Parts: sequence; structure tokens; C-alpha cells
Amino acid sequence: MDFNTILDNIFLNNFFSNWMPVIATLMIMSFLYKDNPLFKIGENVFIGISLGYFWTILWDISVKPFLIMPVMDMFVEFHWTDLTTIFWFLLASTMLFRFSRKKAWIANYYFGFIFGYMAGMYIPIQIQNILLQSTNLMKDINQGSFYETSKWIVLIFGTFSALMYFFFSKPHKGILGKTARVGIIVMMIFFGAAFGSTVMGRVSLFIDRAILLVDHPFESLVSTLGIIAFMIIYFKFIYKEKEYDDESVM
Amino acid sequence: MNVLEKLKNLDRRIIYLLVFLSIIIPLIPGFDFLKFPVSASKETKAIFDIIEGLDEGDAVHIDFAFTPTQKAELLPFFEAFYKHCMLKKVKVFIYYGASVNGMPLGKETVKRIMQRPEFSHMEEGVDYLNMEYIPIQPDIQIFGMVSDYKGTFKKQGKIFDGVETLDDIDLILGISGSKWHQPLIDMQIRFHYKFAMAVTAVTGPDYIPYFQTGQLCGLSNGLRGAAEYEMLVSKKYDVDYYGTATKGLSSLTFSHLMIFGLIFLGNIIYFYERKKGGK
Repeated sequence: MDFNTILDNIFLNNFFSNWMPVIATLMIMSFLYKDNPLFKIGENVFIGISLGYFWTILWDISVKPFLIMPVMDMFVEFHWTDLTTIFWFLLASTMLFRFSRKKAWIANYYFGFIFGYMAGMYIPIQIQNILLQSTNLMKDINQGSFYETSKWIVLIFGTFSALMYFFFSKPHKGILGKTARVGIIVMMIFFGAAFGSTVMGRVSLFIDRAILLVDHPFESLVSTLGIIAFMIIYFKFIYKEKEYDDESVM
Repeated sequence: MNVLEKLKNLDRRIIYLLVFLSIIIPLIPGFDFLKFPVSASKETKAIFDIIEGLDEGDAVHIDFAFTPTQKAELLPFFEAFYKHCMLKKVKVFIYYGASVNGMPLGKETVKRIMQRPEFSHMEEGVDYLNMEYIPIQPDIQIFGMVSDYKGTFKKQGKIFDGVETLDDIDLILGISGSKWHQPLIDMQIRFHYKFAMAVTAVTGPDYIPYFQTGQLCGLSNGLRGAAEYEMLVSKKYDVDYYGTATKGLSSLTFSHLMIFGLIFLGNIIYFYERKKGGK
């Protein structure tokens, strides 16, 4: 039995794949009570596995097929077009000169190429994009239904009043002050909507974990009780509040 | 007022517990009566309608650009959309441009879906194709497709019959939780392809203006968008494709009600204290 088979037997079985996600989820969630060693273990294992997995897979599907294999093929059969691979590799490698204080300027060639390429391509496209967004606002105010019409009125006056809030050439008094006040309300509504979307996103992430816990009721119950027992023991008998003296804080 | 004082200094862990219960209770078996009906928004329905308008053999290109960290919000939509395409017998090209970590997730999901009895006769390379990871940005991807779709991706197979350039792709769907697909939106003005997106709830509001101008022909927003799509496909084809998005929507609603209630309570206490303090 080779090493890979032994690893597969340990990790690719139902017992491990049922218990591990539940335990890891609850270990991370234990932070909601207080920072504790179980959370630290879960956090470090997560970061370690993520980075290790990412680099392994990046090597396998990117560096190997797009750099190492073409270079090795050059020794078998060389085409002059293969030199482009070498060129891009050398250009990308100049990034490493950022680590040197004296030779850091060499990396500027890479940045010069990227900025030049991006500016050349995106400036005309972005102008088209902005014009399209702007002209879409310039529509007939009569949009058919009351809802659609009111939407346009809110959009136009909302944008105008929000802009007026940032108009500092005159004191915010009289009509300008009132318009700026409406602008603040419009911006607060936007921030509220953005906050609502963020909450929705974060809750959605937790729902995924909650579905996992509900789908594995036995594992969840045992793991929860185990983690609660650990935390009681830890915070009752082992944990000590850090005492800061004035000098160390300063 | 003693109660208000207690509520003002409420331990954050009690708030966590309340939100936790509001999420977990609707998911527990036996609490099915807490389910809410789902209605489709026009943004999500637009994507559904485009696929419905396609014929057998038309081509859809999915840019799978999310990692397992965004799986909770985006994978249910990908599953529902992919099943819809398979039911319509539309050719699907799945490309993993930005998602090194997401590629195994996508391939595993496709493999799991294709094991269903209704899709068991479908073959990779004929009905769908995992195009693997190619380290190029979306802009180069589009330019490449204009010149030679087939040659750029170095793929051969029956699925490429009739699919040579970008014009042969009937819909490009970008699934991501970042700004990765912004170049595709920008270049839509120049190349006039049909481009739709499925995004996370956090980035959703940023893309609404593009839907209004027609640069996006459809937009699915977070878990709710996925639940809407699951409902649309299930109802149309009389199948049970309700997945984790529909399952989680009640939890989403209740947790929002809970958070809304807590914010409302916080405001009442704030205004009461301000009135009391005479400020």
C-alpha cells in the first residue's frame, strides 16, 4: 500500500467527511462566544489548507501546462514563436526585482506594459460605457406608468440633490441647504440598501453552514456538546484574563 | 425605565443567539409551515426567458469565476441554470478563468448533476464541455472568441460543430462575487453579445444600472436570485429542482426580520433617551 492510498483511506471516507465539516464549522463559530484555542486551531488549519491547496493546484493547472511543459517541448522541437513564452516569462520575472532596493526600477518595465495596455484598451471602452450610462438617464419623463415615472423623478432629483451636498462654494442655507438635506437622506437610503445587501450576503453564508449542521444532526449535537464542555473547562480552570500594567500599555 | 436600560446593554452574544435561532429553526424538519412563497424578479426572469427562447443545439458560455468561499450564494444558481440548459438541450461551455480554487468545485457539481437519470444519456464533448482553467483575462477571452473560438481554446469535439466565433454564442453567463466580469460588461457595448450575471448580494446593487441600460440582459442577485431560478425551472418543467437556495430562503427572511426588529428596537431606545435627556 503506497503513501497516497493510505492518505486516501484516512481522509476520503464517510466518517471523516461527515464529522470534519461539522467540527470545523463549530470550532470557528465558537469565536462568537469568546476567543479560544479551538477557534485558533480551526483558523490556522483553514488558512494552511487553503494556501497549500491553492498553490498545489495553481502549479498543476497553470505553471506546469503553460510554462514548464512548453519550455520542455522547445528542446524536442523548436519554433521561433516559442520565444514569446520566454519573453513573457522574463517580463513577468522582472516583478521579482521589487525585492531589491537598488534594482527595483527593472520591475517598472512590467508595470509600464500593463498600464499601457490597460489604458489603450479601456479608455475608449470606458468613455462609451459612461456615455451609455448617461444617455440612458436622458429619457422622456412620461414613462407610461406612475411607478416608472416616479422612479425617474427620484433618480434625477436624487442625483442632483446628492451632488448639491458636495457643493461647497456657497454656504448651505436656503434652497441649497434644503436640497443638500434631501441629498443626505438619499445617500443614507443608499447606504442602508448597501448595508442590507451586505447583511443578506453574510447571512446567506451562514445559511449554508446551518444547512450542513441540520443535515448532520447527530454529529452536530455531539460536536456542540463537546465544544461547550471544552469551553466551560477552559474558561473556568485554564483561562486567565490578561493583566495590563500601565507601562506595557504605554 | 429598567427594561429599556437592559435592552440597551444587551449582550452581543444574545443577539447572535437570536439570529442563529431565526436561521436554524426554519431549516429543522417539521417547521415547513414557515416557508414563504417565492416570486421571480424581472432581472432573474430575464435570464430564464433567454434560455427558454433558445433552440436545441444553441450555445451558452458560462464563466465560472467564484471560489468555494462564495459557494453558498452562487453554486445554487449555477446548478439551477445548468439543469435548465440541459433540459433545453443547449450546448454548455464552462470556463474557469478566474477560479483556480473553484474549478474542482464546478467540475464536481457538473459530474453530480450529470449522474441524474434524466441527464445520464448526455456526454461531455457533445452536450457540455468543461473548458478547464486558462490563465487569461475576460477581455482577451472575448477578443480570442472573435477571431477563433475553436482555435483559442485548443479543443476539438462534436460540441464545436457550428460554434466558431463569439457570434455563435447565444448567451455568456458570468458567475462571480467580484469585479472580475467588469471588462465583459464594458466590452458588451462594442461586441454586442448577450451577457448575464449571477452575483453575490453584496455586489448586486452595483450591477443594477447595467441591467437598466441593457449591457446586462439578466441579473441574479445572491441567494434570492438562485431561489427564484430554482422556482422558475421547477414550475416550468414540473420537476423538483428546489435546492439549497429555496431551502435557505425562509431562514433568510426570518433572520432579516430579526435584524430589522433589533435595529427598530435600538432606534426606539435611542429616541426615547434623547427625548428624556431633553436634547
